[in-house]
Amino acid sequence: MVCSEDRGRETGRKRGQVGSTPRSNAPTILVCDDEDSLRELIRAVLGDGYAYLEARDGDEALEILASTLPDVVILDLMLPRTSGTEVLAAIRTDPRLAGLQVVVVSAWSHLEREALAAGADRFVPKPFEPDDLIAVVDELVRARAG
Amino acid sequence: MRFLHGGSLTVRTAIASLALVVVVVAVAVGLLTAVFAARTAAHKEVQAQDLTSATLDVQGLVVDLETGLRGLALTGDMRFLKPWANAKAALPAKLAAFERLADAVPGERGQAQTIASLIDSYIDEYSVPLVRSAREVPAAAATPVATAEGRRRIDEIRSHFVRILAQEQQRADEASATADKDSRRAVAVAIAGLVALAAIVILFGLYVARSIARPVRQVADEAQRLAAGDEVSDLRERGSGEVADLTRAFNTMARQLAARQAELEEQNRQLRDSEHAKSELVSIVSHELRTPLTSMLGFTSLLARGDQDEEAQQRYLEIIAGQGQRLATLLDDFLSVQQLEEGRLDLRSDRFDLAALLRQQTELYSAHSEEHEVLLDLEQRTLSVVGDEGRLAQVIGNLLSNAIKYSPEGGRVTVTGLREGDRAIVRVHDEGIGIPDEEQGRVFTKFFRGDAAARGIAGSGLGLAFARAVVEAHGGSIGFTSVEGQGTTFAVELPAAGQAQSSVAQNAERSSA
Repeated sequence: MVCSEDRGRETGRKRGQVGSTPRSNAPTILVCDDEDSLRELIRAVLGDGYAYLEARDGDEALEILASTLPDVVILDLMLPRTSGTEVLAAIRTDPRLAGLQVVVVSAWSHLEREALAAGADRFVPKPFEPDDLIAVVDELVRARAG
Repeated sequence: MRFLHGGSLTVRTAIASLALVVVVVAVAVGLLTAVFAARTAAHKEVQAQDLTSATLDVQGLVVDLETGLRGLALTGDMRFLKPWANAKAALPAKLAAFERLADAVPGERGQAQTIASLIDSYIDEYSVPLVRSAREVPAAAATPVATAEGRRRIDEIRSHFVRILAQEQQRADEASATADKDSRRAVAVAIAGLVALAAIVILFGLYVARSIARPVRQVADEAQRLAAGDEVSDLRERGSGEVADLTRAFNTMARQLAARQAELEEQNRQLRDSEHAKSELVSIVSHELRTPLTSMLGFTSLLARGDQDEEAQQRYLEIIAGQGQRLATLLDDFLSVQQLEEGRLDLRSDRFDLAALLRQQTELYSAHSEEHEVLLDLEQRTLSVVGDEGRLAQVIGNLLSNAIKYSPEGGRVTVTGLREGDRAIVRVHDEGIGIPDEEQGRVFTKFFRGDAAARGIAGSGLGLAFARAVVEAHGGSIGFTSVEGQGTTFAVELPAAGQAQSSVAQNAERSSA
């Protein structure tokens, strides 16, 4: 498990605001992907306006969710051990996690409909335009705040 | 009937036909013999009757002779001599006929001649002189001497007649009895023959039905079921000869058809698998390509904005380069397997230390994962083999990578290297999820990934196909044992140094040819 609220500082940069640290009340995003470079990319794209939690597989994601309630989950579907689909199902059946915003990011673009049917709020196919991901996450964070 | 239980149908049919012919001939011969015997007997009877009739004719004429003479003797009147004269005139013809008939009967010829000569002598030596003298002196015919003489002669002739008639009566009776007996025999033979023929025909019919018609019917029924696509079991070989051959041939045909069908179904299944694998490959490849592409495009977009510090830019460029390298390796793998399978990949043939290779790969992969313990167990310090070190390193790397990937709960991965006779053996053992029984036959199939994709285990499905192609090109073999839920052990067997050289050289020749 890599809980890297601090690591966001190493590589992630808030859009246009180089070197700033996340605010203590910044929205929390759980990034769940088995590819190190993709987790890093997502952090870099979204910048340091957020606090990040990272999980490399479904088990880690569920472990984190058991103790923390992030604002948004960015979830890959193809994960070792417990798959993203299973994680999504677990989120949607747990009353404590009701209302948790989930963005599924997957190279399996043909799974979009299934992912949405399974309870994902948004589906972003890989490869993605950084602006698209930013727009989706901003929207969900605002919706949650509102 | 013992002979009917062996030999071909042709022989049996021939034997049965021959038996039929023999019986028919025997019956015909018996019937003909009996009929001929009856005819001969009837002929004999007729002959006896004819002779009797001729005898009676002659006897009548003799009586006429005597009556005429007696009339003459009693009356002295020449008119009474008329029957004598008539009889005397008729006698030669009747006697000739009598003698002719008697000639045909062996026992009667002498008797007939005696009668003829007695009659001749009665006419010539007694009655003619008597009549002549009576013409002169009518009383001469009535002398006691002449009368006694005539009675004596007539009695003698009559005794012969009595004898011949009795004999002919007996002969006629005998012939009649014989004819009766022979006719009855002919009827009996005919009935017996008909019964025997009927029995043979019925027996043959039964035999044909039992040992030909029934097995043939059985084969026909099975053939119909086979034609309808039903599964058929082996027929019991009934009958013998050609019929048994037919059943055997049918069984062989049915078995071969079943084998051919199974073969076709297997090919079909393989084709479907391969089609499925291909479509799966398209998904996998697109996924495998998309992941590094996502990184590269994403970081490139970020770099294009140019709002990062130099350190971040450097980091992004490294990631882009790394992902590009990953894409290149992936393409390499695809190409390698393709070339290996087509025999177009040239393998190096160097002597190197497999033990060192194992140490290096083990080290590489123990750094790879924190949750897995990768152990190396080497029997000897060095393990010399001849081959393509780089490709074999890839093979061992693939096996180690699988052992880790398929042990998602973590655990121990043990690599063993040892020498057994002229073989170098490497085993990679894990305590992972194992390979389900139904997938074990296909793990070396290119792009086959079983339910690994569903479990979220990444991979191209090429690792093991590549490993097998490389190991087999080295003259070695690769296999595995696995228990689902308990773990898997892959074993690679390579010719140890000194033996591998030739086979790799040959392979290289074959590959370059």
